[in-house]
Amino acid sequence: MGTVSSALGRRSVRIALAVLAAVVLLAAPLLLPAFANQTLVRIGVYAVAVLGLNIVMGYTGQVNLGQIFFVGLGAYVTAYGVNQGWNIVVVFIAACVSAGVVGLLVALAAARLGGLAIAMVTIALPIVGVPLAKRLDEFTGGSQGISARFSDAPEWSGLYNDQWQFYIVLVVTAAAFLLARSLVRGKYGRAFAVVKENEAVAASMGISPYRTKVLAFTIASIFGGASGFLYLAAVQYTSPETLSFGHSISLLAAMVIGGAGSIAGSLLGGAYYIFVPQITNAIDPNLTTLSQGAILLAVLFLLPGGLVSLPRALRRLGRRRSGRPTSGNPPKTAPAPHPVPEAALEGPDNKERQDRP
Amino acid sequence: MTLLELVDVTASYGPVQVIDGVSLSVPEGGSVGILGANGAGKTTTLRAISGTVRTGGRITFEGRDIRGLRPDQVAALGIAHVPEGRGTLGQLSVRENLMVGAYLRKGRKAIADDVDYCLELFPQLRDRVGSRAAALSGGEQQMLAVGRAFMAKPKLLLLDEASLGLAPSTAKTVYDAIRRLRRESGIAMLVVEQNANLAFSLVDTATVLETGRNVLTGTSAELKGMDEIRRAYLGG
Amino acid sequence: MGTFIQLVVDGLSTGSIYAALALAIVLVNQATGLINFAQGGMAVLSAYIAYAFLGLGVPLPLAILVAVVASFLLGALAERFLVRRFERGDPDTAVVVTIGLLTLVTGISALLWGYNNLGFPSLFPLTSVEILGAVVSVRSLATTVTIVLIMVVLQLLFLRTKLGLALRAVADNPGSAAFSGLPVGRLLMVGWGLAATLGAIAGVLVAPQLTLTPGMLDTALVYALAAVILGGLSSPIGCVVAASAIGVLENLVAVYVPLIGHDLKIAVPFVLIFVILILRPQGLFGRKVVVRV
Repeated sequence: MGTVSSALGRRSVRIALAVLAAVVLLAAPLLLPAFANQTLVRIGVYAVAVLGLNIVMGYTGQVNLGQIFFVGLGAYVTAYGVNQGWNIVVVFIAACVSAGVVGLLVALAAARLGGLAIAMVTIALPIVGVPLAKRLDEFTGGSQGISARFSDAPEWSGLYNDQWQFYIVLVVTAAAFLLARSLVRGKYGRAFAVVKENEAVAASMGISPYRTKVLAFTIASIFGGASGFLYLAAVQYTSPETLSFGHSISLLAAMVIGGAGSIAGSLLGGAYYIFVPQITNAIDPNLTTLSQGAILLAVLFLLPGGLVSLPRALRRLGRRRSGRPTSGNPPKTAPAPHPVPEAALEGPDNKERQDRP
Repeated sequence: MTLLELVDVTASYGPVQVIDGVSLSVPEGGSVGILGANGAGKTTTLRAISGTVRTGGRITFEGRDIRGLRPDQVAALGIAHVPEGRGTLGQLSVRENLMVGAYLRKGRKAIADDVDYCLELFPQLRDRVGSRAAALSGGEQQMLAVGRAFMAKPKLLLLDEASLGLAPSTAKTVYDAIRRLRRESGIAMLVVEQNANLAFSLVDTATVLETGRNVLTGTSAELKGMDEIRRAYLGG
Repeated sequence: MGTFIQLVVDGLSTGSIYAALALAIVLVNQATGLINFAQGGMAVLSAYIAYAFLGLGVPLPLAILVAVVASFLLGALAERFLVRRFERGDPDTAVVVTIGLLTLVTGISALLWGYNNLGFPSLFPLTSVEILGAVVSVRSLATTVTIVLIMVVLQLLFLRTKLGLALRAVADNPGSAAFSGLPVGRLLMVGWGLAATLGAIAGVLVAPQLTLTPGMLDTALVYALAAVILGGLSSPIGCVVAASAIGVLENLVAVYVPLIGHDLKIAVPFVLIFVILILRPQGLFGRKVVVRV
């Protein structure tokens, strides 16, 4: 196991793997059946939404129960723009920007409340969003919803629709993941981590918890808008149902189950979002909600790091099995003292970087 | 008769071992001090007794092994812990704090009498009996914490840094009252105190901890006579 | 004028339902520092339990009583076996646990009773009385009165009984309370049980009006959360006032402001919250609503 991971660490190997992954992804839609392509496309759509949620929740520690609202907003703006005949790039930008602006406004108010109040306010977004979408029927088509076809494969490409959609989603999703990866590894990512760990420490390091939270929330909203654009590319139709409360909860479950605070976990989350309802619906549609709740709680209990941490958890289990001595103390109620936040230990270094405007 | 006995007690927070073999004993009605520098493991020793830290070794109270009990079970046996940094319930009134102290007791009359006794012991609290604990001064909160512990009618009081953050005159008032409490009630005490002068005013014997172990045990008089003790703890 | 009074009384009636849920949320928050997003879902399950016993031929008041007792047990068990592990940890994780609980409980309701609307009989007669020229349903009045009575009982429990004192002590500082011998774990279970009981009463009172579905109280939960934000997490009275105000306001706005209407009235409390937050950066009522360091 050790030699494999050290080989993976080598730069040349990593680049080779990335190229291989790119080739596989580019070739896949040409080889796979249409149904598989459509499923992969949908995974990509929701992976972007989960990724956004991960930025605000997994990385910054702010519970957001309204992410689906921004997906819906992006989808509606996309449908409207396409039907108005806008250029598709303009439509994409409009979807992202409108979600970002609304997200910014919500965050400016909600982040003032601090702590759990963000969760309490954001839960209202889908609950208000659904009737709002029905009401604004001039733009949204009301309860019937609205369809917009812009993702049919053009003649010159010689591709089927599902293949063309795969490439659209692949480009945007890949860009979103690369962007998110560099974001969370950069100075903003460090600010997110400090705010998540301890807001007082963040403030003492010159990082404004308020501004950091607003930033993370806004970025999450923009990713939501992008996901909405992709949703319309994949489904070509949206209705108030897209942004329902239940879906918002599912999105949150997908993020936690995939792996909070993990880029790769967002992809797993997207896959969970698509596959598990398909499976449970096949067994009994009334079972879908129950199984989702049960899986979510099971993951929180057994695998707090989500599916993405499964290999590590298994390795640890394996080590324990192989007979490492454990502490002889009997289990005992001992409230753990507050651990020194890791962020605090690397304080001075971070402070220098964060102080720059 | 030994009331409390610790034999080779260890305690750790997660992987960090904080005390590493502390032994001491408190006789019935006796008063024992724990001295030592910051981080020597004084507070952790008290927490090991009251069950708020993961512990190894042997801890017996009235001959019964109490290691591994929950804090409320330890309290039910007659050990009252006044934690460092004032153990008051901030949103509750002074009277309510005292009533919470008497949670395990029955008998309205006796409880009411003891509330009166507390207010007589700490006259400053009498005027504030309806105010929230959080609104009290530091000294008053410390008095309330001691009063609340007394209300349980314990056999043993664990007292952690009762002078911390108090003005010298206030600290003296608090300790005067605790001495009176000890004289009149006969409660045994295990006292952690940074200020050795205050500690020696209250305890008969003391043990000195260094990096989680006992290095010295003796009577107050013996310890006060030692040069290194004087230099380290008595500012002389 | 008649319509106005009718709207106000109906608003107070729905407001009292929000208040009951909000109080349950405050109760749990006071005891454990958590926001229980499953409070509404648990209340719906309670109403279904009453429904199930009705189906067995049990008279309505007895069925409700059974549901209330069962809810107490469910709440206590949820605390002990689901939430306990997360209480002292990261509050955000704990919130996700209660979301998981909401999903689980809603799923149980859905699996056992399906998603179709089920009729639930009213405890109170469906007649109306005239007050100041307004026709007011007895059900609305009786619902309000019931909830107000329960609030008074709850207040007495908290301020006048030993159990209430112990619950408040644990809420204030569980570690410190344990030093006085308070069985913290058991008291937390009681706190969750009482909150679930409160939710159950709200559930059976509102079920006749909304008809039973697994998501029946999702919207009410959102209103209750708004009331909690506006009224303050540490103030039961504030929450009740806020919940009543929200109930009345949304009713009036729905009728007198056509732009908003019945479909968008749920936005009213949140627009209110946002406006207040933008105008008053220090938070509502000049203090931080949720303090967390």
